[in-house]
Amino acid sequence: MNKITRALTEINELNTLAQHQSPLHRLHPLAKLLITISYIALLMSFGKYELVALACMGLYPWWGFHVSGLSWKKCVWRLRVLLPLICLVGLANPFFDKHVFTIGGWQLKAGYISFFTLMLKGLWALLASYLLIATTTIEQLCFALRLLHVPKLLVTQFLLTYRYLTLLLKQADTMSQAYALRAPKQKGVHFKVWGSLAGQLLLRSIDRANNLYASMLLRGYQGEYYYGGPVTPWSKRDWQYLLSLGLALLCLRLLPWSTAFSKLLGGKFL
Amino acid sequence: MSHIHIDMQNLSFGYESNQPILQHISLHAGEHESIGIIGANGVGKSTLLKLLVGLELGFSGHIRVEEIPVEAKTLPLLREKIGYVFQDSDSQLFMSTAYEDIAFAPRNYGLPEEEVDRRVTYALKQVGIPHLRDKQIFKMSGGEKKLVSLATILSMTPDIILLDEPSIALDPRNRRQLINLLNSFEHLKIIATHDLDLVLDTCQRTILLADGRIVADGPSMEILTNKKLLEDNGLELPLSLSRKI
Amino acid sequence: MHMADALVSPSVAMTMYAASAVVAAYSIKKVREENNPRKIPLMGIMGAFVFAAQMLNFTIPGTGSSGHLCGSMLLAALLGPQAAFLTMIGILAIQCLLFADGGLLALGCNIWNMAFYGCFIGGLLIWQPIMQNGASKFKIILASMLGSILTLQLGSFSVVLETTASGITELPFSAFAITMQGIHLAIGAVEGAIIASVLLFIYQARPELLLGNEKANTARFSFAQTMAVLTGATAIAAGGLSLAASENPDGLEWSLEKIAGTSELESSGLWHGAAAKLQELTALLPDYSFQGSDSAWGTVFSGLAGSALVILLCLACCYLFKLFKHNEA
Repeated sequence: MNKITRALTEINELNTLAQHQSPLHRLHPLAKLLITISYIALLMSFGKYELVALACMGLYPWWGFHVSGLSWKKCVWRLRVLLPLICLVGLANPFFDKHVFTIGGWQLKAGYISFFTLMLKGLWALLASYLLIATTTIEQLCFALRLLHVPKLLVTQFLLTYRYLTLLLKQADTMSQAYALRAPKQKGVHFKVWGSLAGQLLLRSIDRANNLYASMLLRGYQGEYYYGGPVTPWSKRDWQYLLSLGLALLCLRLLPWSTAFSKLLGGKFL
Repeated sequence: MSHIHIDMQNLSFGYESNQPILQHISLHAGEHESIGIIGANGVGKSTLLKLLVGLELGFSGHIRVEEIPVEAKTLPLLREKIGYVFQDSDSQLFMSTAYEDIAFAPRNYGLPEEEVDRRVTYALKQVGIPHLRDKQIFKMSGGEKKLVSLATILSMTPDIILLDEPSIALDPRNRRQLINLLNSFEHLKIIATHDLDLVLDTCQRTILLADGRIVADGPSMEILTNKKLLEDNGLELPLSLSRKI
Repeated sequence: MHMADALVSPSVAMTMYAASAVVAAYSIKKVREENNPRKIPLMGIMGAFVFAAQMLNFTIPGTGSSGHLCGSMLLAALLGPQAAFLTMIGILAIQCLLFADGGLLALGCNIWNMAFYGCFIGGLLIWQPIMQNGASKFKIILASMLGSILTLQLGSFSVVLETTASGITELPFSAFAITMQGIHLAIGAVEGAIIASVLLFIYQARPELLLGNEKANTARFSFAQTMAVLTGATAIAAGGLSLAASENPDGLEWSLEKIAGTSELESSGLWHGAAAKLQELTALLPDYSFQGSDSAWGTVFSGLAGSALVILLCLACCYLFKLFKHNEA
C-alpha cells in the first residue's frame, strides 16, 4: 500500500469509527475536547523521573478504549509518526544523565527513567488524541471549536480542507500511478517533471476552487459562510462526564504515587 | 404568457474579442418547457448556461429572465429563481454533509433555521434521498452526489433549472433514476449535454448548436432523428434510435 | 518536523499557542479586510492541495531518497502570507488530528515552526521583496531556495529551543542544534528545489496566479504594522521560552554557558530583568519538580495551572478576535 492509499484508508477508518455508537460517542464534543486537552497538559506537567505516577495516568486511555470499544492495535501503530523525533531527543538521556537511582538494591541510571517517561508521555498523549478523534466526527469537533469562539474563518478553512482532502489525495494518487505505469523503473517522480506533475495538480485545484466559488455565488454566498453544524445539546450527562472525569484525572495526578511506590520498594528517589 | 420564461436576443459572447464562442443567439423558453441543448464538444453549451445565471457577464445582446435583465446588480435576484447543477458534483458540493450543503443556500438568503430545516427535508424528499441526510459527501458515490446536487438547487425553490451534462459518470441505473426525476419536475428545464438519449427521454424541444450558432431548434423527435443534420454537426443518432433504424 | 506532545511542557506549549494566536488574529483581520470572497474557497482547496502534494515522492537525483514540498512557502507565493498562514493552520490541525503527526498540545509550536516562518519570513520578507518588480525564472529559483532553506533552518532551530526549554532532553544543546540544523539544511535545499520547479511551471502556464496575487498584496498591506505584529508575536515566543528555560537549570542557560562560556544573560540587561520580574510574579507556575519529587502538590499545581491557562488563553484570544470584528463593523 502506498502512502496516499494508506492516508485515504486512515481517513476513512477514523470516519467510520467516529460514527459508531458508544457512551463516549454520544457525549458532547466540547466535553471530550476539554478533557482531552486537560489530560494531555496534565501528562506533560509530570517531571522527567515520575515514571510510576505517569504510568498510572494510563488508566484514562485504558478506560476510554474499554468504554468506546476501540482497538489499541490500530492506534499504537500510529506511533511510527512520532517515534523518530522522540527517539532523537530521548535516546541521548541515558548517556548524558549521570544520576543513579536505587530501587530495592538495584541501581538504575536516571537517563533510562527519563527516556521511558518521555516515551510513555508520547504514548498516552497519542492514545488520548485518538480517543477524541475516533469518537468524534470532524463536523462535531468544528462545532465544539465554534462554541469556544474559534474564529469562523479558521473553522471554515479546516472544514473545506477536510472536505477536499480525499478528493485531491485520490487525484494525486491517480497522477502518480499514471506516472509510475509509464516509468516502471523509477521509485518516485523524476526531478525533470517535479514542476509539471505537482503544477498540474495545482492548476486543477485552482480551477476547482473557481468552480466552487461559482457554485457558492449561485447559492447566494456573499463572503459570509453559514453553517449550523450538528447541533448537539449539552446535557446533564456531559456535566457528569466533565466533572467526574476531571476530578478523577486530578486525583491521578495528585496522589503521591511515586512516594508510595518508593516507600514500598525502599528506594530513595523514585 | 405565463411569468416564467427566458428571452435571449442576439446574444454574442467570447472570452477574447476575436474568438467568439456564441454568436447571435436568440431564443425563447416558456413555463414547463424542457429543452435540450446539444452540440459537439466546445460549441458553447456550458457557456450558454453560465451566461443565463450571470457567471459570465461581458456579453452583447439581451438576456431576460422573467423580465429581469441579466446584469451585475440583478444577480442576487436572478439566482434565487434559477438553479444551476454543475457537471462536476464535487465542485458543487463543498460542505461536509448533505444536510449542510442543501441548507447552504437557504441560510445565505437569511431564512430562519426552522424554515431551512423544512426546505432541506422537502428537497431531500423531492429527489428521494431522505436517508442521505447526514451522510458525508466525500463518502458518497457519484450517483448520490448528483442527487444531492439536485437537492441543493431545489432547496431554493427555483422556477428554472439548468443542468450541465447531468448524466456524465452515472451508471445506467442512476441515469434512469435521474431521468425519471427530471421528468417529474415541472420547472422550466434546460439541459446542456451530448447524451442524446437523455435528451430524447427528458426534453420535448431540442436546440442544436454548432460553432456558437443555433443550427436547429425544434421538437426533439424531429431533430434527433435527422441523421444527416446530426452527423454534419459532429454528432450521431441517439443509440436507442440507431438500433431501430 | 512535527513536534510531538511529549516534547513540550505546558508552559512552552502555552507560550507558542499565544504567539501563534497573535499572528493568526492578525492574519484573520487582514484577510477579512482584503474582503475577497473568492479567497475562502481557494484557501480551503489549496490546503487540501498542499496536503496531497506533500504525499508525492519526488526523487532526489543521485540519491535513493525522496523529498517533499515546502507547503507554507508555496502557499505564501500563491495566496499571500496572511491567507497562507491560516491555510497552514488548517493543514497542521488536520495532520495532528487525523494522522497523529504532531500533537494537540504541541499544535501551537507546530504552527509557529512550520507556518509562521514559511509564510512571514519566506513569503513576506523574501518572496515579496524579490518579486517586487516582476517575476523572472532566476528570481523564482532564488526566492524559493533562499526562502525554503531559511524557513526550515528557523523551524528546526525552534524545535530545538522548544524542546530544550521544556527540559525534556539531556542532549547538549549544541549537539542537538547541530544535528537538527544539518539535517534540515539538506531538507530545505530539496524542498526549495521542488517548490521552485512548481512555481516555475505556474509562471509559464498561468503567470497571473503569481503576479496578480503579488499586486493585491503590495497594494494593501502596511509593512510597519505587519512588522510590529510579528515582532510582538516573536517577543511573546522568546519571552515565554526563556522563562520556561530559566526554570530548568539543565536547559537553555546551561547550554548558553557551554556555547558562550558564560551563563550570564544579564548582559541583555533590561529584558532579562523584566523576565525575572515576570517570573517572580508567576512563581506559582515555574518549577515542575522541586527538589526531589516528593512535594507533588507543587508540580501538580503548575501542571493544572498550565492546562487551565492554555484553555483560558485560547478563549481569551477568541474573544479578542470578536472584539476586533466588532471594531471593524
